[in-house]
Amino acid sequence: MTAAAVRGAPSSALAGLCAALLDLPDDEAAAVASGVEALAGRLPVAARLALRAGVGAAGVAAVSLTGRRLAGLDPDRRARLVAVLGSHPRTADLVDLVKVPVLLAHGARAAAPELAARLTVPPVRPDGDLDVTPSPWWPSRSVADVVVVGSGAGGAVVARALARAGASVVVVEEGRRFGVEEFRTRGTLERFGDLYRDGGATVALGRPPVILPVGRGVGGTTLVNSGTCYRTPPGVLVRWRDEHGVDLADPARFGPVLDEIEAMLAVAPVPDAVMGGNGRTALRGAAALGWSAHPLVRNAPGCAGMCQCAVGCPTNAKFGVHLNALPDACRAGARIVSEARVEAVMHGGGRATGVRLRRPDGSVAEILAASVVVAAGATETPPLLRRSGLGRHPSLGRHLAVHPAVSTAGWFEDPVDATRGVLQSVGVDELHRSAGILIEATATPPGMGSMVLPGAGRALADQLDRSDHLATLGAMIADAPAGRVVGSRHAVLRYDLTPRDGQRLVAAIGAMGRVLLAAGATAVVTGIRGHETVADEGALEEALAHADPARLHVAAFHPTGTAAMGGDPDRHPVDEAGRLRGVVGVWVADASVLPTCPEVNPQMTIMALAASIATGVGDGGPAR
Amino acid sequence: MATPMRFTEAMEGSWHPIGPGPAPGDGVPGGPLGFEVAVELPEPVRPLGTVHGTLVGTVHARGLAVRAPATGTIEISPLEHRRVRYVLDFVGDDGTPFRFDGWKSIRWRRVASTWTTLPGTITVAGGAAAGTAIGTATVWFAWRDAPSLVASVRLGPPRRQPGPAALAARRWDGRPGRLEVWYDTFTDPATGAGFWLHHEVVAPDDPGQPVQAHGWAAAFPPDGPPVWERFGPGAPGEGPGFEAGGVVSGETARTGEAGEITWDLEVAGGGPPLWTFPAATWRREVLPGAQIVPRPAARYRGTVTVGDHPYRLDGVPGATARIYGHGNAERWGWLHADLGDGDVLEIVAATPRRPGLDRLPPLPMVRLRLGGRDWPSSPWSALAFHARLGLPTWTVSGRWGRRRLQVTVTQPADRCVRVGYRDPDGATATCTNTERARARVLVERRTPTAWAVEGEWDLDGTAHAEIGSRP
Ligand SMILES: Cc1cc2nc3c(=O)[nH]c(=O)nc-3n(C[C@H](O)[C@H](O)[C@H](O)COP(=O)(O)OP(=O)(O)OC[C@H]3O[C@@H](n4cnc5c(N)ncnc54)[C@H](O)[C@@H]3O)c2cc1C
Repeated sequence: MTAAAVRGAPSSALAGLCAALLDLPDDEAAAVASGVEALAGRLPVAARLALRAGVGAAGVAAVSLTGRRLAGLDPDRRARLVAVLGSHPRTADLVDLVKVPVLLAHGARAAAPELAARLTVPPVRPDGDLDVTPSPWWPSRSVADVVVVGSGAGGAVVARALARAGASVVVVEEGRRFGVEEFRTRGTLERFGDLYRDGGATVALGRPPVILPVGRGVGGTTLVNSGTCYRTPPGVLVRWRDEHGVDLADPARFGPVLDEIEAMLAVAPVPDAVMGGNGRTALRGAAALGWSAHPLVRNAPGCAGMCQCAVGCPTNAKFGVHLNALPDACRAGARIVSEARVEAVMHGGGRATGVRLRRPDGSVAEILAASVVVAAGATETPPLLRRSGLGRHPSLGRHLAVHPAVSTAGWFEDPVDATRGVLQSVGVDELHRSAGILIEATATPPGMGSMVLPGAGRALADQLDRSDHLATLGAMIADAPAGRVVGSRHAVLRYDLTPRDGQRLVAAIGAMGRVLLAAGATAVVTGIRGHETVADEGALEEALAHADPARLHVAAFHPTGTAAMGGDPDRHPVDEAGRLRGVVGVWVADASVLPTCPEVNPQMTIMALAASIATGVGDGGPAR
Repeated sequence: MATPMRFTEAMEGSWHPIGPGPAPGDGVPGGPLGFEVAVELPEPVRPLGTVHGTLVGTVHARGLAVRAPATGTIEISPLEHRRVRYVLDFVGDDGTPFRFDGWKSIRWRRVASTWTTLPGTITVAGGAAAGTAIGTATVWFAWRDAPSLVASVRLGPPRRQPGPAALAARRWDGRPGRLEVWYDTFTDPATGAGFWLHHEVVAPDDPGQPVQAHGWAAAFPPDGPPVWERFGPGAPGEGPGFEAGGVVSGETARTGEAGEITWDLEVAGGGPPLWTFPAATWRREVLPGAQIVPRPAARYRGTVTVGDHPYRLDGVPGATARIYGHGNAERWGWLHADLGDGDVLEIVAATPRRPGLDRLPPLPMVRLRLGGRDWPSSPWSALAFHARLGLPTWTVSGRWGRRRLQVTVTQPADRCVRVGYRDPDGATATCTNTERARARVLVERRTPTAWAVEGEWDLDGTAHAEIGSRP
């Protein structure tokens, strides 16, 4: 199989593998395969190679075990072959590797008719009134008071604050603008491929590897996030203040900023009407255990429970920054350049002078500004600073916390209809304070996130047919900053799950299993190898005892800390006011500056920190 | 103290309007844009540092400004910021203030192209639309212009331009073998008449001979033959300017009587002096002779009476010029062309009267003032011009930097006077002069693709010219 085959026409090996994995007739398998290939075209080279290797290995196995090529096998033998591959620990990883995009592509295909049928409600609000200029139309030379790199949670809020304060602000965003129309008309798989960096296949290398999707578009990751809004826990804020010297994190100071962000986001708890079966299951299970649980607070006024947060809300209910902070900023005169990747923050004589950006056609444009606010996200900010010659601080790119997540699902007699309702609906915080485990009922679309149904062939197909009986929980653990971002042209992520955090992930699976069983699940899908499905508490304990954290399916959505702010020049690349150390006129205001894992979904924390940092932008003094 | 540095630079390219439509560069119709500026820096360019200076010059941009005066700033930072930034403000033909803001981004790996490419943006610089970007532009510096840029480089503080009073003052200090001239030429647009007032002091080589102050006046009416009358000779007066027997040429006063011509005039304005010969050659006697124009675009007010015909002049255009040296040239051609709005063209094409040199073709000293900027930037440009002297028609042409010039002067015999000149050594020359000459002037600017007409004039009867020759 060639690279061209992965990107272009469906390869017969991939189609054969799809048919075997999902027990599909050939024509459907070919359709799924072409979906996988379209997605593969957006993957970074490494992921594409891995996928190719996985498919190739399956093909080699077919030839060596049966003497025939995968595509030439009849369905029975194909199924048996995949079962054999799936049962061997080494080859099982390979099968999983291929399974993720295949499930995603198949899920998108299978769900499409229903999604379309349910989309009867019109958008609850029009697209934001934005002053966006795609970079080909943006002049090669321009000037501004402030350039903000990245239009996500951090960048948008900074742009809003600075534009309102009267500065001329240009926001430079690598991604393009998305509108509600395409969220209503295009398929979820295509949207997924467009909305995420690397087609959603960003991976932090390590044992286990961690899938770490990040959004890319005007609005950043808030375009695709679940809308869960947590205030920063006071304990975290006190730690940032006392152990990292971040005075603006003082709860008395930070509280009012969070209030303002909550007002901007119009946050409210998930209403009953759109809660959906997934959330109700979680509430029921928690109640049976006597655990603390509650509907999540979200920024989604008017949410109709379409369960498509992760691929762009088709009703514009999810109130990402593209619908509030950015329109506010533009109303105050800010301008956005889209499809413009900032190559470097320019500086000379120890002072920032602007940014150099690259257009899709490879041409370059420069924007001069005495102040540059970097808000490219925790994974992109360190490489950007490095390739700008501003990456000398030894801690830059280190201390990456990801808030790793595992998923656990439960089978129920009655349909749960998890995807009819809010995607992320209920929080179970019983173990949050004590063990740093935060459970959230999250109805991830099949193949997305960390939920991987076990098995292959007929067995897998049966599960997929019954997936409306499945309830899915996710749990995130407050992790040690065990990762780092290396590279300067491109980000390369590394994350070494610490043994303690590995144990916590296993414990989190146990907690979720208990909630699901308490809610009446007939079986629990654990994601633990060799114990994929358990039927009762005893089997669950048994599974946990045998769990190897290095072989869990781990995903992460909240990378933070790669340019930590704080008062110690040796430890923190960014000072306690958000200024990058070592240069005058560069601020960092995104997830990178969080000194540690915030222990909750971070968008409000990022926004409030960005708003706090914005008040000092333009003050030309050096970092402390 | 740092040494100031000056040079002139020209860049040409094109601009494209910004607006909805295909992306810039996709063949959107644009137009040529370019500028020529004098750069003035408080210190020489520092490779490691950043120097800020000022720009004065002209901008042309099709559809915005035919040729607008421009002022602005420059930042030169080859290594620190790897940037050379030009900000130029100009007013468009429709009165809109515009700003061109652009910079070269120096990449040392591609230094030749990045050092010569200047992308910029044109924004509205005032009014309700202030700050709106209306166009993008890219202009280039052509390496073939490098010699003229280098030749234009001046180090040291700019000399204070001497004012008209200083330049009207007598140069002659009593030494023998000197000729000093004050002359005025002007045109009465109401009648079409031209006038010439010539005052000179001749100190013969032979100290035994008397110093003579004399001169003449000439009128060139459109409807008859020119009238030419001498005054003097007499002893030069003690005043700061020219004075002899009731004829005065002072800082602003021009009064006198010569035969049937009398005049009583005041001269005003004129703009900065035009150094047909470099200022240094005027200050120090490095050449056998030098001509300068203290008031290149002056206004003459008062009365000239020719016989019984009074011409009442109400601020008519003309110029005051000066000559100082050892005597007249071997052969020469002179042109003063008032192109309007303060723009002037002055040419002295001369062959020196020195053995050996007198066989050379005449060397044209050309000064073109357009939009307040004088061109060419260097006196060495004389080598780049070519003069073909003759009567009734003579020509000068040549190119320097991004411009080229073609001038054809016609002096119809019936509009000319012939005047005998006498040099301090006693030699004589004949000068054929008319203040009703015709001059056709073509100025072109090189764009990246072709020569574009920058200005074209046909002054029929308002140009001032003469041809000098020896028997
Ligand atoms: C699937 C998913 C669900 C989530 N759900 C929630 C949730 O429910 N609640 C919550 O609180 N958080 C959630 N998050 C996390 C949250 O959205 C992010 O933490 C937050 O958006 C990060 O903000 P940021 O400003 O650091 O970066 P981002 O929002 O990622 O914005 C960074 C922007 O910078 C741009 N950029 C990067 N490099 C460059 C460059 N060189 N030049 C120009 N532009 C560049 C990117 O394209 C991007 O648009 C979720 C995340 C994911 C992936």
